[in-house]
Amino acid sequence: MPAHLEVVAARKAFRTPEGGVMTALDGISVKLASAEFVTLLGPSGCGKTTLLRCISGFETLDSGDIVIDGSAVTQMPAHRRPVNTVFQRYALFNHMSVARNVGYALEIAGKDKREIRTRVGEMLDLVGLAGLGKRSVSQLSGGQQQRVALARALAGKPKLLLLDEPLSALDKNLRQKMQQELKAIQRELGIGFVFVTHDQEEALTMSDRIAVLAHGRIQQIDAPSVLYQRPANLFTADFLGESNLLPVTLGGTTATLADGQTFATPHPAGRATLLLRPEALGFALPDGPALSFTGRIAETYYSGKDHQITLQTPAHGSIRAVIRAGGQSPEIGADLTLHAPAIGLHLIDEVAG
Amino acid sequence: MNLARRKVLQLIGLLGAPTAFLLVFFFGPLLIMLVYSFLTPGIYGGVDWVFSHLNYGRILGWADTRYEKFDPVFLSIFLRSLRLAALTVVTSLLVSYPAAFWISRMSPGRRDFAIFLVTLPFFVSLIVRLFAWVLILRPTGFLNQGLMGTGLTSEPIEFLYTDFAVVLGMTYVFIPFMFLPLYGSIEKLDMAQLEASADLGATRIQTFRKVILPATLPGIIGGSIITFIPALGNFIVPSVLGGAKVLMIGNLIEQQFLSARNWPFGSALAMMVMTAVLVLLVVQLRLARRGGA
Ligand SMILES: Nc1ncnc2c1ncn2[C@@H]1O[C@H](COP(=O)(O)OP(=O)(O)OP(=O)(O)O)[C@@H](O)[C@H]1O
Ligand SMILES: [Mg+2]
Repeated sequence: MPAHLEVVAARKAFRTPEGGVMTALDGISVKLASAEFVTLLGPSGCGKTTLLRCISGFETLDSGDIVIDGSAVTQMPAHRRPVNTVFQRYALFNHMSVARNVGYALEIAGKDKREIRTRVGEMLDLVGLAGLGKRSVSQLSGGQQQRVALARALAGKPKLLLLDEPLSALDKNLRQKMQQELKAIQRELGIGFVFVTHDQEEALTMSDRIAVLAHGRIQQIDAPSVLYQRPANLFTADFLGESNLLPVTLGGTTATLADGQTFATPHPAGRATLLLRPEALGFALPDGPALSFTGRIAETYYSGKDHQITLQTPAHGSIRAVIRAGGQSPEIGADLTLHAPAIGLHLIDEVAG
Repeated sequence: MNLARRKVLQLIGLLGAPTAFLLVFFFGPLLIMLVYSFLTPGIYGGVDWVFSHLNYGRILGWADTRYEKFDPVFLSIFLRSLRLAALTVVTSLLVSYPAAFWISRMSPGRRDFAIFLVTLPFFVSLIVRLFAWVLILRPTGFLNQGLMGTGLTSEPIEFLYTDFAVVLGMTYVFIPFMFLPLYGSIEKLDMAQLEASADLGATRIQTFRKVILPATLPGIIGGSIITFIPALGNFIVPSVLGGAKVLMIGNLIEQQFLSARNWPFGSALAMMVMTAVLVLLVVQLRLARRGGA
C-alpha cells in the first residue's frame, strides 16, 4: 500500500511564558497507509495535539516534512490542505443551522446549492441525523453535536481525517456506540483516520495501529495486539495495561530471575526485564508452567468475571494477577502459587532505572 | 392564585420605583415636548395653547405664513446630522473593530490595561479634550505645522470648522461607546471556530465574512446604535469643532430653546431626532429577531 500520509522527522518546540523551551515534537516520523486507522496514544502533554495541528496546518514545523499523497504540504496554509479535523469541543458554528454547518466546506468551495443539499443529506444519513438539518446546533445533545462535527469534517471529502479526542466529552455508553460507528464509517469511506485519545481501551479496540507517544517521540507504533503483548520498551509496557516487570539476567540461552528460576530464551547475555501480564498468570497448567510464583495474597478485588489479586512474594515484591472467577475465592492472607506459561513471557531489552 | 398575587406585588415593589422615575422624568418631558411641538410659540417665549402644525411645516415644507415659513436649511441640517452621525458610526467602527480584536488577544494583564486606556478619556472633561483638538486642527495648529514642516503642504489647510473636524471629534468622543459592546462580542468569539473554518477550506476573508462577522454582529449593531443616537443629537462637538459652518440638529434645538426661545419649534426638531432614533430601533429589533432566532 502506498503511504498516504508521511510525517518525516518532525520537530516543533514552543517558547514557554516562563522563558524556557518546550520540545513538543522531537523528531517524529510516521507513515500512514491509505484507509488506515492510526491512533496517537500517550500521557497528557506528550505532543499529540501538536502533531495533529502540524498535520492540519495550524502549527508550522521547526523542521521536518508533512507529505500527503506524495506531495509535501509542509508550507501549505491550513485552508488548502486536503485534511479535515474533528475538534475536541466540536467548534461548531453556533450561528448556523446543522445543515449549514455540515455544508460549510462545500459552501466555501463554491458548490451549487442543489449539490450541497444532496451531500448534506447524505452526510446526515451517514451519521444518523437525518431530518435534523434545520435545527440550530444549540438544540442538539452532546452526542448529536459530535455527529454534526463528524459530518461537517467529512462532507468536503477529505483525504484524511484528524480527530482530537472526539469522544472524550461523551458518557461511557454513548462513547462505546460512537466508537463502533466511527470505525464503521471509516471502513465505509475508506479514508485514513488519525485519532487521538487518552483512553487505552478505545485505542486498542478501534485502531489498525497505535502510536505510543511520550516526550515528543514515538515510543512504538504497532498493531494493538503486538503493542500489548510484545511492547518494545519499558514505557510502552508500563503505559499500556497492567504489567509486572521483573529484572532478569541473561546467560546466552536462558534467563534467570531474582529467585533463581530460569526459562529458555534466545537472547544474548546481559540484563533485561521480563514483562508478565497479570492475565498470563493462572492456576495449574496442563503443559507445565514456565515460571511459578508463590506468595501471600495481599489484596483482592472481585469484578464479577474475575479476581484481581496482589501477591506478595519474597523475591519479587508484589505481583499482580487476574484470575477467572468461578473456582474458589482467593482470601487475603492465604498462601497461593500461580503459574505462567512460556507463551506469556516477553523480554524487554531495557532495565528499569 | 394567592402566590401569583404575591409575585405581582413583589414585582410592583421592585420595579415600581424605577418605573415611576422613568415615567416622571423621561416619558413626562418627552410627552410635554410632543405636545409643545403642536402648539403655537408665545410672543415672549413659552407657548400659546393653540394647535399648530406649522412647526413641522417649517421643517418639512408646508409652512407659508409671514412668521412661520418653510426653510430648506432645517431639513438639510437634519440630513447633515444624519450623515455625520452615520459617518461617525462608520469611522469609530473601523477604528474600534481591529483594536478590539487586537486587545482581545493580549495577555490578561495587558488586556485590562488596554481597556483602561480606552476608557481613560472619560476621566477628563469633554470640553478640555475638544479644545485640545482645536489646538491640533487650527491653521497654526500642530497638524498644519507638522504638514508644512515636512514639506507636504505649503499653506495651512482648513481642518477646523469642517465636516471632517466634526466627524473626527465625534469619533474621538464616541469610540469608547463603540468599543465596549464590540469588545464584548469579539472577546466571546470562539477561536476554535475560526480554526474550524480554516480547516474546512475558508481563507481569512471567507472566515471573516461567514464566521467572525455574523458572530460579532450583535456587538456591531449595539455599538452602532449607542454611538449613533448621541452622535445624532450631539451639539457640543459641532459647536466647538464645527463652529457656525457645520451646524447639527443638536445645535439648532439648543438655539431654539435657549436663544430663540421658540419652544414649539425646538420641540418639533427634537421630535424629528426622536423619530429617526425610533425608526432605527425598530429596524434593529427586526434584524435582531431575524438573526437571533
Ligand atoms: N501554543 C503553545 N505554546 C507553548 N507551549 C505549547 C503550546 N501548545 C502546546 N504546548 C506545549 O507542548 C506540549 C505538548 O502539548 P500538546 O497539546 O500537543 O499535548 P497533548 O499530548 O495533546 O496533551 P493532552 O493529552 O493533555 O491534550 C505541552 O507541554 C504543552 O504545554
Ligand atoms: Mg491534546
